[in-house]
Amino acid sequence: MTRTAVAGPGGARPRGTHLSAVFSDDAARDAHVVDFLRPAFERGERMEYFTEDTPADTVLRVLEEHGLDASGALDRGQLAVVTARDAYLSEGPFDPDRMVEQWHRAVREAERAGFGGLRAIGEMSWYDRGLPGAERLLEYELRIHREVFARLPSLAALCLYDRRLMTDSDVALLDGIHPEHQRLGKEDLPRPTLRVTSLVDRPGIALCGEVNHAVRHVVAGAAAALARPGGEVVELDLSELEHIDLDGTVRLVTAATREPGRRLVVVDPPPSLLRLLDIFPELNAALEVVSR
Amino acid sequence: MTRGTAAAPGGRRVDSFTHPAFFYHGEAGFLAGVGAFVRGGVENGEPVLVGVPERRERLLRDALGALAREVTWFAPGPSGANPGRALSAFREFVDRYPTRRPRVVGEPVWPGRDAEEVREAMRHEALINLALAGSAACVLCPYDTSSVPTAVLADARRAHPTVLEGREHRPSPWYTGRREPDAPLAEPPAGAISLPYDEEGLGSVRAVAERWAREVGLVGERRTDLVLAIAEATTNSVRHGGGAGVLRLWVEGSRVRAETRDAGRLADPLAGSNRPDPFSASGGRGLWMINRLCDLVQMRSLPDGLVIRMTMALEPPGVPPPPRRG
Repeated sequence: MTRTAVAGPGGARPRGTHLSAVFSDDAARDAHVVDFLRPAFERGERMEYFTEDTPADTVLRVLEEHGLDASGALDRGQLAVVTARDAYLSEGPFDPDRMVEQWHRAVREAERAGFGGLRAIGEMSWYDRGLPGAERLLEYELRIHREVFARLPSLAALCLYDRRLMTDSDVALLDGIHPEHQRLGKEDLPRPTLRVTSLVDRPGIALCGEVNHAVRHVVAGAAAALARPGGEVVELDLSELEHIDLDGTVRLVTAATREPGRRLVVVDPPPSLLRLLDIFPELNAALEVVSR
Repeated sequence: MTRGTAAAPGGRRVDSFTHPAFFYHGEAGFLAGVGAFVRGGVENGEPVLVGVPERRERLLRDALGALAREVTWFAPGPSGANPGRALSAFREFVDRYPTRRPRVVGEPVWPGRDAEEVREAMRHEALINLALAGSAACVLCPYDTSSVPTAVLADARRAHPTVLEGREHRPSPWYTGRREPDAPLAEPPAGAISLPYDEEGLGSVRAVAERWAREVGLVGERRTDLVLAIAEATTNSVRHGGGAGVLRLWVEGSRVRAETRDAGRLADPLAGSNRPDPFSASGGRGLWMINRLCDLVQMRSLPDGLVIRMTMALEPPGVPPPPRRG
């Protein structure tokens, strides 16, 4: 993917457009929100804020307090503050396919309305509240890097993770999915048992840590992302994986090779995976192991 | 499970499973009886699988000459066949030929097998009757009366419905059809590491076991095998054994032991003895893997729960056998 990137201050490496922020108090949240949205006010980009726990009034007040003309932006149709549930779940359970379409539509509409781009903020604390389809959030986060952000260079999004409202392990897992770990703030989080990221320049995902029964929901999300159609080859980078069990191996291999003609390239797998392929050669049918 | 049986003339199916013991004396006796049994199978065009100690295998191959190529040789690996793995290999072989009359030779006891290996082998002798009932297979179990202890020979007589004498299968008057009830295993020595686990602890217990296996000198693929087996056993506790268990680790002489205990129960004594389809998420995959990976597996379903004791030899005796031929 090629994209013109804007160098940060002092020529630092370009920042991505799919960011996360982890925080434990309102002041830190407000600082992330203001920092992220200020360029949109300056450049005339449209803004969408999807709340879960913060009242819309509070969002507007915070922006105003930081010298940003939120009410003017509302009036101009430049800023919208809606609940995440209304935005994601109004038409049924959370659905990654519909969400992807929604982003493309939102950017098109923003450009058609004359805005230079779209900046979106989403509060993610609805994840572990048992909402229908929430278990597909992982799959969604893994897919949008390629299906949304790589194709929509004028879109930037910030996911907000409030540690007061979510478990550390959920935060670590979801925050860890963001490509190249583009996280704002310096909060220390426990290492998730299994971390999943999407590969940056080719179809596939990378797993880090360990695959076992306790992280089967993470494996399910990773498998769903691997099963996406398109491309003859999909890659599973296991160079930072210590261990994988049979069940996890079967789920990932099955998903990745479900499409006829699709090949799965497994990079630097742990010894346990090589042994499982040895014992169950039927897993090997559409799979190639490479070391880098 | 349903199992195909051999087609008799006219399309009738027959259930003709037999499981004779064969008591012989020394190499000459082995060659005469087992040699004739194998040759008879090959000459009748039946599939034949042979799993015998390495020395016996060489002897038999020499005697069979070119016919040896028609035989499938079960290569148990450098540390001797875990009886559970041998049973699975027999079932897989027999299932591959549902309309034939497969012949299998499995010699369960030989000099050098210690008491608990022999016990496990004899427990599996009784399971063969259950596992292959309804098939048209004939499983011959040779016992060398010149080296096998008298008590084991008595067990063998009780475990086999028939005895091969000459070319005749005679009903065994000693056959009981009973299986030994599960009894607790000997307690590990003092100093065994004890690690309780639940679902959240699966990863850390696996990591501790892996470090420990490295420290006690289990190397390479054999360490991978034990760690995979431990991972399957602990996962089994979490999924089917009440959600939690205790892993104990210790070294006994030149053997590494890992044992899981949980609140589970093993309703099917044949669980884990049938090679699973890895793509089907049915239970039994884990138990089969454990049997496949370890040198010895002792599973005991006791009133207070399920015990799976897995053993790996630190230095596998002997050289690896040649790759399977035929």
